[in-house]
Amino acid sequence: MAAETLPARSATAVRRTRPPRRLPPVKTVIIAAAAYAIAVIFLLPYVEMVITALRPQRELLARNYLPHHFAWSNLTGMWGSGFGITTSLRISLEVAGGATILVLLVAMPAAYYTARNRFRGRGLFLLVVLVTQMLQPTALIVGIYKEFLGFHLVNTVWALILINAGFNMAFAVWILNAYFGSIPVELEEAAMVDGSGRLGAMFRVTLPLAMPGVVTALIFTFIAAWNEFIVALTLTTGSAVMPLTVRLDSFIGQYTVDWQHLFGASVVATIPVLILFALIEGRVVGGLTAGSIK
Amino acid sequence: MKGRVAASLAIGVAALIAVAGCGSSKSSSSSSSSTTLTFFGADYGTGPANSTTKYWDAIASAFHQANPSIKVNVQTVNWTDFPNKVQTLIQNKQFPDVLEGDTAPQFAQSHLLYKSSDVLSSSVLSNVMQKFLNDTSYQGTPYGIPFTTSTRALYYNKKIFAAAGISSPPQTWAQLQADAAKVKAKGYIGYGLPLGSEEAQAEALMWFLGNGGGYLDSSGNYTINSAQNVQTLQFLSQMVKSGVTQPSPGTTDRKDVWAQFAQGKIGMVGGQPALIPIIQQAGAMTSSDYATADFPGRTGPLASTLGVHDDIVAFNTGGHQAAIKKFLDFVYQNKYQLQFASEYGLLPATTSAASAMSSNPTFAAFFKNIPESVNYPSKTNWTTVENQIKTTLGQAITGSPQQILNTIQHSATSAS
Amino acid sequence: MSDVAAVKEAAGGQAALAQPPRHDSRRGRIARRLAPLPWLAPALILIAVVVLWPIVTMVQTSTQNITPIGVTIGSAGVGNFSKLFSDPNLPSILVRTVLWVVAVVGITMLISLGLAQLFNQQFPGRRVARWALIAPWAASVLMTALIFRWMLQPDNGVINVFLHQLGLVQFNSNQSSWLGRPDSAMAWMIGVAVFVSLPFTTYTLLAGLQTIPGELFEAARVDGASRWHVYRAITLPLLRPAFLVALVINVMNVFNSFPIIWEMTRGGPGYETNTTTVFMYNLKQSFIGEAAAMSIVNFTLVIVIVLIFLRVNSWNRQEAR
Repeated sequence: MAAETLPARSATAVRRTRPPRRLPPVKTVIIAAAAYAIAVIFLLPYVEMVITALRPQRELLARNYLPHHFAWSNLTGMWGSGFGITTSLRISLEVAGGATILVLLVAMPAAYYTARNRFRGRGLFLLVVLVTQMLQPTALIVGIYKEFLGFHLVNTVWALILINAGFNMAFAVWILNAYFGSIPVELEEAAMVDGSGRLGAMFRVTLPLAMPGVVTALIFTFIAAWNEFIVALTLTTGSAVMPLTVRLDSFIGQYTVDWQHLFGASVVATIPVLILFALIEGRVVGGLTAGSIK
Repeated sequence: MKGRVAASLAIGVAALIAVAGCGSSKSSSSSSSSTTLTFFGADYGTGPANSTTKYWDAIASAFHQANPSIKVNVQTVNWTDFPNKVQTLIQNKQFPDVLEGDTAPQFAQSHLLYKSSDVLSSSVLSNVMQKFLNDTSYQGTPYGIPFTTSTRALYYNKKIFAAAGISSPPQTWAQLQADAAKVKAKGYIGYGLPLGSEEAQAEALMWFLGNGGGYLDSSGNYTINSAQNVQTLQFLSQMVKSGVTQPSPGTTDRKDVWAQFAQGKIGMVGGQPALIPIIQQAGAMTSSDYATADFPGRTGPLASTLGVHDDIVAFNTGGHQAAIKKFLDFVYQNKYQLQFASEYGLLPATTSAASAMSSNPTFAAFFKNIPESVNYPSKTNWTTVENQIKTTLGQAITGSPQQILNTIQHSATSAS
Repeated sequence: MSDVAAVKEAAGGQAALAQPPRHDSRRGRIARRLAPLPWLAPALILIAVVVLWPIVTMVQTSTQNITPIGVTIGSAGVGNFSKLFSDPNLPSILVRTVLWVVAVVGITMLISLGLAQLFNQQFPGRRVARWALIAPWAASVLMTALIFRWMLQPDNGVINVFLHQLGLVQFNSNQSSWLGRPDSAMAWMIGVAVFVSLPFTTYTLLAGLQTIPGELFEAARVDGASRWHVYRAITLPLLRPAFLVALVINVMNVFNSFPIIWEMTRGGPGYETNTTTVFMYNLKQSFIGEAAAMSIVNFTLVIVIVLIFLRVNSWNRQEAR
């Protein structure tokens, strides 16, 4: 899919801000109520996750909304060294962070060039990139294992970083392609006239303006790598290199499932992503509109 | 321009080499003075706290202390992902030296295994339960070593029975259905019937045996679609329709049914000793609130019920026969067998460990069933047939038992 | 890059793409052909190494005869494909997959249009409300599927507790077993799939809404156009680019969706809630070569669908400006 340019923007009004709309109060109340209701609905399953995590064994299968006693030890207990949650948190951060950085490093030059130049094979390149997004690692797991065996990279964090970067690069390339494309060239020209090189212009002028696209690619890749399971399961053999998704899998036993710890740990696993998103939420909204097809 | 092209290509290639290079230091070298064995096993625990990795790590380090020239690398994977991971390893020819948790005949067929007698001293070998050992045979020779075993019995909730006015556990199918109906009238689930894709083959076999059926006939050929088996499924189907089981047995897993029994919601369930720690952890029943009995057959309790065993197999691809033998002799010591059995609620696989445990009343009932127990077919294509049973047998409750069993029988006999 | 052409295009308000110069030498032409390489090389290397190589392995596997434990015992030629296409379960699985994709993507896009409008309005606490929308995207799909399965338990699931209070359902009845019956299971799984797809789609449409110049709405209001007419004539057409992005990505993700169905029903009973991806995983347990063949069929289907879609939206023509 070829990334297209955004609607025309003049050089001076690149950052668009909408003047606040003044709605009559009753309407605002209704809208706000609807929005809050929907937000609550979106959070409900995860609230249930927390509640279940806090159920004592005795009330695990009780027919009530809230248990009579809350077993806080279910949440506090899992941080012991025996559980390995802290190690896995660190590994997940390394994998997701590393994959995100690698994706940005690799996608930015490619997206910049395809946005600025027409060349033979441009369409083909973008198509190949699109196709990689259509694949799911589940089908390719044997080949991936074989390949990383050959690299002697099985059971390393690097393997997970590379794979997550490779399978999520497509989205970053499109988003950045469109964002770079929508930034008028004359801004860079102006910077170059002022004395910085091509690369300098890109860093000083283009990149800041394309920040929403960068941030969008960042969050998309981070979430995808953070929640990736099947490749991590296949490629990690040791407890020291297990990301959270694999660690959670061990709560599912042969005869029984440790539901409280499973749900508790998965709530914990969601928090870093939520924090990351809260920090950059404002930037994302601007970013997702790039990559549109006209 | 061309210089830039060449430069960046060089950088790309260099990066690849560097990436490959920084991993190469991990490749293990086995010099003549030390051997490294790879052990791959299933995780019987429910979480990092009681993961089987700890059990094997302890054995590995004790073994290493006793045999400093041999090191054992341990890896376990939980049961749901175990088959896939083994498959990936084998497909990539990354054979472990010792594998715990899979059946021997299919590996033996591909000439991948040492004979059991090659990797265990004869004294240790004769200590292993011979009945289960013979199950691991391929073309008459055992290729696996049972590591842990289990048999089945009927668990029933005495408190619910008392409330429903049932004085003793059922001995026939008709009694079981009647008792289940009485339990249901009290607001509980009568009988928990797990025919979902987790362990349909186990539950089905317990019922098939009750009608004189099973998966194999006396000559060892598949008789999955025998008349007795069809009759059994028809009985189960009508029992489900009468409402005395949990809803949708065809998609219910044993895990869920056991969890409900442990919480005191079900009257009767087919179980193993492993259910006991689960009941204890749930804290809803005391040990006097439940009991076990022989599993009912159509006309009387089963003398021979389902017996299962998980095996250890040793791959001959690494050529480490002597080291493996030392390791396995070490593994099969009584103390380790007893430790495993008590931690996970399973039965040991050696006769000496079994007699050491026979004074334990809870296990006594399961032990006595071992000599007469019926095991899964030890045919080389059993895994494929088992997968098909797991996926499709549950549909027999609402569909046509004859048709479903015919399909399974057909692919079982054409594939073997 | 031709500066003249660049400036001319920029003056027209569009971002410029470099045009190749008219006259040049042969050496210059080769240099120009290779010019993209340093910029694209890292991406191409990453793709080749991480994605293309395993595809080659997968294609190889699909032509081989492999035992269930993973030992290759020879070539199967096209045997795996013919076995796959003669599988009696396949036709219904294909149909179900199409229905699955159409239902999930269709419902997601429709609801997202509404949600985006709603969350585009100004109201106090908008930031927090928008942030809550992220939850299904941030949490792993596997865990979301598990919590829904947990809530749907026939004996004590919260959803059944609620319905029981309304007098609509008995515990442990056939009806309370939502995931045990194929039709209700599919309905619930479609709901969960929509639930996890809504955040990304809503945010994409939100961003699209925010690029529509406010003046257009002002002008329409001055002209006295009704709100619905404004939506149809102005909003929707200008939202089209963002809509199409979200649509393509959703189609690809939903087609490949695995954890939801696997964790909620394992594709059962039998194969009655299998989609092609779940079927591939099921096959893999016993028939590795056939599973690889199914993956290839799967992959081809997705490519064909997306390519047709792109063609219809004539991306190629407007590729470079």
